Amino acid sequence: MDNKMLLGVYDNPDTVLEATENLIKSGYDIKDVYTPFAVHGLDRVMGIKRTRLSTAAFVFAMIGIASALTLMIYTSVVDWQMNIGGKPSFHIPTYIPITFELGILFTAFGMVSCFFIVNRMFWGRVTDVIDIRVTDDTFVIAVNVHEKTDVKALENSLISNGAIEVRERINEI
Amino acid sequence: MYESPIREKLILGGKTYHDISSDICRPLENKASKGWWIGFTLSAIVLAVWIYATTYTMLVGIGAWGLNKTVGWAFDITNFVFWVGIGHAGTLISAVLLLFRQKWRMSINRSAEAMTIFAVICAASFIVSHMGRPWVAYWPIPLPNAFGSLWVNFNSPLVWDVFAISTYFSVSLVFWYVGLIPDIATIRDRATTKLRKFMYNYFSMGWNGSTRAWHRYEMISLILAGISTPLVLSVHSIVSMDFATSLVPGWHTTIFPPYFVAGAIFSGFGMVLTLLVVGRVVLKQEEYITLEHLDAMARIVMLTGTMVGLAYITEFFVAAYSGVEYEQYAFINRATGPYWWAYWTMMSCNLLAPQVFWIKWARSTPWFLFVMSIIVNIGMWFERFVIIVTSLHRDFLPSSWTMYAPTITEVSILIGSFGLFFTLYFLFVRYLPTINMTELKSILVLKDNKHSHDKSEKGEAHHG
Repeated sequence: MDNKMLLGVYDNPDTVLEATENLIKSGYDIKDVYTPFAVHGLDRVMGIKRTRLSTAAFVFAMIGIASALTLMIYTSVVDWQMNIGGKPSFHIPTYIPITFELGILFTAFGMVSCFFIVNRMFWGRVTDVIDIRVTDDTFVIAVNVHEKTDVKALENSLISNGAIEVRERINEI
Repeated sequence: MYESPIREKLILGGKTYHDISSDICRPLENKASKGWWIGFTLSAIVLAVWIYATTYTMLVGIGAWGLNKTVGWAFDITNFVFWVGIGHAGTLISAVLLLFRQKWRMSINRSAEAMTIFAVICAASFIVSHMGRPWVAYWPIPLPNAFGSLWVNFNSPLVWDVFAISTYFSVSLVFWYVGLIPDIATIRDRATTKLRKFMYNYFSMGWNGSTRAWHRYEMISLILAGISTPLVLSVHSIVSMDFATSLVPGWHTTIFPPYFVAGAIFSGFGMVLTLLVVGRVVLKQEEYITLEHLDAMARIVMLTGTMVGLAYITEFFVAAYSGVEYEQYAFINRATGPYWWAYWTMMSCNLLAPQVFWIKWARSTPWFLFVMSIIVNIGMWFERFVIIVTSLHRDFLPSSWTMYAPTITEVSILIGSFGLFFTLYFLFVRYLPTINMTELKSILVLKDNKHSHDKSEKGEAHHG
């Protein structure tokens, strides 16, 4: 099955934001909007739910903290106590720096890995870029075209919302 | 563009989005200039000195250095703290200034982060070489081992340091790389040769600029900034605890963590100024790194320089007030003893010299800023030398009082480490964009953009 899309190409972040808002109001099924930088408000207009990466970050922080404490308590209290200058082996205050560092380390690596997974990003991935200019200065609204969609009306409303160019694109699924 | 009545614009020259991509990509898409080759070759020669001197130290042992039984730490740890300190401005600029919504950071954060990573590499090389037996450098890592079930001592700040520096290095690298991904995708889509296309495609990880991706991207950038901020502060605090938890007069002070952090930011901004004052001219980026940016950095240099100056004076006061003879002698010896010249170099470079930044001319004259940045670098190197060597060379037992002087090997390692740093930096300038293009585009408002002009008149500057 092929997925047909109509692409509206814009050259201005404000126009694209307004166009997206209008198209959604008119009931079109917007696949995604591709932009060279994060256009603030676009995610809200498109109704994207707040990402759960922040929760993931918190979970990884807790895992990091727990691992650090487990490591230190196991090695210096349970497995092999050492008497260094008569100082206690089980001493929470001196465990704080490493617990903190490992908490951060796990958060950063865990969260960024999750980010790559949910975005399906990996080294060497060959992307089918929607328009080679979206990483430079162009904003593209991709609208899914279904059987019932009135293509002509969609094209008109893309243009009336300021598109400098409208193209058709068929993705094989 | 960022418009406020008291500040200049952050990007000059009426740029468009496409201008930003072309301008920033120019140095890495064109053939390397003569200047680049000269700089790179010089750095590589100095790097060769570093390789020679470090290898010599590893073959001969620490005996190749000027250490003695009284002064057991000197150039090695001085250079380590110096480089780690320089490594602090990058994450400070990108993380702390992001949280404070300081938009001027966007033109300088990429090169400052690169500087951070290369500086930490230099710092780590000193840790390894000062161990004397670098082939057992993995011993501070808690590994199950056959040396008698001996784990590392988690009560020791030296072990904390292993965790702090490696976490700092890897998290900074992740932060830097995440920031680079959309820019690498830009270069990928502009690439004209197959090899470039392949390499930049490989590292762009299939970035496509979709709003869903951007939404997540913004979230992780914010969280990375949020966790990097305490990380920056913790790393240099832990470095300072290497000294502060000992009982050596002159080291055993509670002021060390904030004092070291301020010093690190100070020296880091010094190095950023050194690199950018030259880089903006050579790479033709004066419209992106404007005099306004240099002015803002000079202000931070002045602020942090005054903070370390205050710490120097506070140390004297606390020593006097403590009533501890050893403590008092350590500080009197610093200022008036045989190393007085090092102490006063530090004082004049770090506390007195940055005071010229009260004058507008000093903050906005590039050649003068370059001179000042070198003075700051020298001053901060001497700060570490003073703290380490003058505290050690006259210890509790007058019969073991001695002087320390570096050998040619140690000086070569110090000079050579600049070769390591600049070789990496030259490679960075050649292959990666030195300014964050996507962030800059987000604060650019087009000239003919009536729409956002209307909005900003209503007081809702749209993006940024």
